[in-house]
Amino acid sequence: MDRDLVTRLRRGDLSAFEELYRQQSGKLYNVAFRMLGSAADAEDLLQDVFLQAHRQIHTYRGEALLGTWLYRMAVNACLDHLRSRQGRQQKATDFFEDLAIPEPMASRSWQPDRALDRLDLEAAIDRLPPSYRMAFVLHDVEGHEHHEIGDLLGIATGTSKSLLHKARLRLRTYLRGAPPSEAGRTASAAGSGDAVRRGA
Amino acid sequence: MNTEHQADMTCRGLASVVNDFVDGTLDAAARGRVDAHLASCAACRALAEDLQTLTRTAAALPAHKLRPEVWGRIASAIAADRPTPAASGLAAFWTGWRVAAAMAAVAILAVTASVVVLRTPPQPATPGQAPAVHQSAQDTVQAVDEHLRIADEHYQQAITQLEKLVATDQAALDPAVAATLDKNLGIIDKAVRESREAIKAQPNSQLAQTSLFEALRQKVALLEDTIALINTMRKGDQAGAARVIGGLSKS
Repeated sequence: MDRDLVTRLRRGDLSAFEELYRQQSGKLYNVAFRMLGSAADAEDLLQDVFLQAHRQIHTYRGEALLGTWLYRMAVNACLDHLRSRQGRQQKATDFFEDLAIPEPMASRSWQPDRALDRLDLEAAIDRLPPSYRMAFVLHDVEGHEHHEIGDLLGIATGTSKSLLHKARLRLRTYLRGAPPSEAGRTASAAGSGDAVRRGA
Repeated sequence: MNTEHQADMTCRGLASVVNDFVDGTLDAAARGRVDAHLASCAACRALAEDLQTLTRTAAALPAHKLRPEVWGRIASAIAADRPTPAASGLAAFWTGWRVAAAMAAVAILAVTASVVVLRTPPQPATPGQAPAVHQSAQDTVQAVDEHLRIADEHYQQAITQLEKLVATDQAALDPAVAATLDKNLGIIDKAVRESREAIKAQPNSQLAQTSLFEALRQKVALLEDTIALINTMRKGDQAGAARVIGGLSKS
């Protein structure tokens, strides 16, 4: 099925791009929205991804599904976007490190014995440093395995695990307040002991 | 560390495997050791429960809805990037859209009627004939094209009328509200232009058509709300005006 579609895409047939858009836009938009935290940025990114697909479809070799090829393009575009956004404040080499001390959110509804409100969680995800957010969104929201995340982001599987660990603890701190226990502090220390490196 | 209650696993040991525990990737033996530790350590139990709640809630987050007019913009950008020949006509493709076009035309008549009621003296109703809602399943693509053209015309006629009414009475609006409305209309007009470009590049695209009619529908709704706001403010109904403005911010 992909082969016919790819043939039409390579011919520049706009109806083929529409078909691709119908199949993939929802998934791409959602991951972009979660990563970038705004509908306008996610729409811009979606447009960039389809334009990029239009220009690069001749490089598609069919080694992965077309949807996977496009998804990888979208994740990389998110990564570039976040890097350029962060680059204004910080060196690019620091992208996968975050040394800031997390501050709890101003209003927290996740009190003991109360359910976690999804809006609070979404607001907390938006506050995560970019690398943590990417790991959390890809693993816990999108459901990818660590080896897939490593492949998508160009990082080692262990790095993906470490980022996710830190992301979850950071979210807990945002939502619950300061680490409430010895266990939280110990878990933070355990997470920070992992090697965090790029492109491994 | 709370190590006094368990011999096999410390809090530090728990911390190093808590994510695997939460993700369900521990083998049975390791899981047993974690369970034993959690049974006797309230702090680690709270940590594990919080992380489980986090992951469960994250996995169940609802999808964000993509605005239908986005395709029009993307199609327009792709067409501008490298012009492509128009796709061939697909009669079956249009089956559902024929009904939507007819409904759009009917909806526009309802909008026009509501504007007439609001005004004194009443303005003439939208000229032209409404397309028939009921069509046989054997309609041709040409008939569909005609319905789309008529629906588009009805939208344009209603928009023209509404714009005249707004232009006449806009002074009744607070300048800040008027500026916000102008800005929103500008955004919608941009979406209309982009959708028309997309249709030009791809005349048979249902998404591009949806994009256009969604943008037109939004414009009619915004103009209609603006007129409702003007009428409400004239009556000195501040509470009613606040409700209309509240509705505007959601549109």
